[in-house]
Amino acid sequence: MSLAKSLSDALQRKPVCHCLEKVVDDRGRDPSGGWLTRISGGRPAVLYSAGVGRRPPRRGSPLHLPTFDYRRPQSLAQALGWLAEFGPRAAVLAGGTDLLIALRQRLLRPELLVGIGALAELQGVQPCADGALRLGAGTPLTTLVEDPLLRVRLPALAAALQSVGSRHVRNVATLGGNLNLPTRCWYVNQGEAWRQARPPCLKTGGDVCHVIRSARECFALQSSDGAVALLALGARLELARAAAVREVALDDFYRNDGLAPTTLDAGELVTAVYVPVTPLRSTFLKIAPRTGLDYGLGTVAAAVAGSNRRVTAARIVLGSIGSWPVRLRGAERIVAEGGLEPATIEAAAEAARADLGELTNLYSTAGDKRRLARVLVRRALAALRRQPEAQAA
Amino acid sequence: MNRRFIRLTVNGDTHELAVAPQETLVEVLRDRLGLTGTKRGCTSGACGVCTINDETGRALLACLALAVEWDGRAITTIEGVAVDGQLTPLQQAFWECGAVQCGYCTPGLVMTARALLLGNPRADAHAIDEALAGTLCRCTGHIKVKQAVAKAVADLAAAGNGTTGDGPQG
Ligand SMILES: Cc1cc2nc3c(=O)[nH]c(=O)nc-3n(C[C@H](O)[C@H](O)[C@H](O)COP(=O)(O)OP(=O)(O)OC[C@H]3O[C@@H](n4cnc5c(N)ncnc54)[C@H](O)[C@@H]3O)c2cc1C
Ligand code: SF4
Repeated sequence: MSLAKSLSDALQRKPVCHCLEKVVDDRGRDPSGGWLTRISGGRPAVLYSAGVGRRPPRRGSPLHLPTFDYRRPQSLAQALGWLAEFGPRAAVLAGGTDLLIALRQRLLRPELLVGIGALAELQGVQPCADGALRLGAGTPLTTLVEDPLLRVRLPALAAALQSVGSRHVRNVATLGGNLNLPTRCWYVNQGEAWRQARPPCLKTGGDVCHVIRSARECFALQSSDGAVALLALGARLELARAAAVREVALDDFYRNDGLAPTTLDAGELVTAVYVPVTPLRSTFLKIAPRTGLDYGLGTVAAAVAGSNRRVTAARIVLGSIGSWPVRLRGAERIVAEGGLEPATIEAAAEAARADLGELTNLYSTAGDKRRLARVLVRRALAALRRQPEAQAA
Repeated sequence: MNRRFIRLTVNGDTHELAVAPQETLVEVLRDRLGLTGTKRGCTSGACGVCTINDETGRALLACLALAVEWDGRAITTIEGVAVDGQLTPLQQAFWECGAVQCGYCTPGLVMTARALLLGNPRADAHAIDEALAGTLCRCTGHIKVKQAVAKAVADLAAAGNGTTGDGPQG
């Protein structure tokens, strides 16, 4: 009997039983002709589970994932090749802490998942020749949060990543996944059955928005905490696709558009994040219903170079408030011109409200968001003022 | 169906399984291996009842992990914690503090706390809070759970044993 035939026999032995296919059949014979037992190595494999799981999982139930193919690339080049070949029919799977939920909710139906989690090219924190830090896009958040260099040089980033989800989530979630987090809203990020109670929205193929009835655009929120911190730190991204690599400032990566929140091209991967470590002080704050697990109702990251009296550069960014992380350029100018003094901090906090422009009532009212912005900016700048200036050399 | 073989070590036993790409670890553990100690809860990362530990003792959620990605790897589930039927000091502390109400979240809480103690045997109240975030007890029994973990830290320190006291990883 051919190997393929005996394997397929082994798999089909019990057509309704989805529990572990037996390596040894009822009479103690190995239907694979010994192959299965051999690949289990020295230690005997547990051969089958008796009795349990006889009921096949109900496919299509919202508890289960839809069907897809899965491939694990051995190199970055291989991953990029598959992404180019499959185009929009493929999705990138990193830590999966967001993508698997989106799949369960049937927000996308890729034919193929390309699992980039273990690619060596995407791992780790390395100092570069120019002093910047190179953060591999596949590095788990826990690794980044615990990195001593990152904690000391980029406190805003360490705090932002520490605030993501729970420890369980951070242990597998990656930086690249965090930066590519889709925008969220209270209509679309639900199970399929919930969504089907209403006609599809702009994001799901319809022509209405259920959050803002009059809108012809999608205003879903960008809630990536890493994005807010990295934008304040002036980070750049390295993007790769089959046979091409480009670099883009994070400022040019995000778009104020709930449907297409980044400028990432189809078939392209974020491979690394470069963060300059020019001496600067930075901080990140998040206001959320609970300290653990929740997305922010509003987040802020701020970074300044110089002393409290003479600030030479300032970047202030708000997150979870619009469809992109919002740079508060008016507030930045006030701090850059007037320093980190109590009066300028107050003025910058006031200016933040104006910098925000139009806001939606998604998740919290526009009025609340404006008040929150003022409080966040005030607290962040006050925290920076308290940080030792020596660090600002 | 588009299945493939994976080799997964659970609590020291190596299993050869043919899995479909869309099968998650929690489905494999419960529906195929009969290890129903790991619970299926929200299946969206927000309740922590499916928590298991990896080779390095880190906590992760079995509902957000594809089994195909775990080929060649080793995990510990709640069934692999007690040694020869003897509760570990951590489990004993849960027992003595009454940190169990209906019990549904208990395996996830024990695996979460186990990961904490393996990584930080001297965890203080803040570290305990931080580690337990992401697990939900819907009977709202979190106070006793926190007391139990703190007791386990103290008991292990008193015993001069900075580990969770259970068998080898994996
Ligand atoms: C309970 C819970 C709470 C959460 N709380 C927060 C929170 O507070 N703040 C927050 O920011 N996030 C939060 N998240 C969302 C998510 O866990 C994180 O953003 C995480 O960092 C995503 O990383 P991942 O590797 O798991 O991404 P995946 O789920 O693997 O991928 C997410 C998206 O990014 C794409 N992608 C992944 N890697 C790359 C890459 N290298 N290049 C291009 N595209 C890529 C994927 O195709 C997918 O569309 C939470 C998730 C859960 C389950
Ligand atoms: S905000 Fe965007 S995703 Fe949400 S209902 Fe409106 S169009 Fe759809």
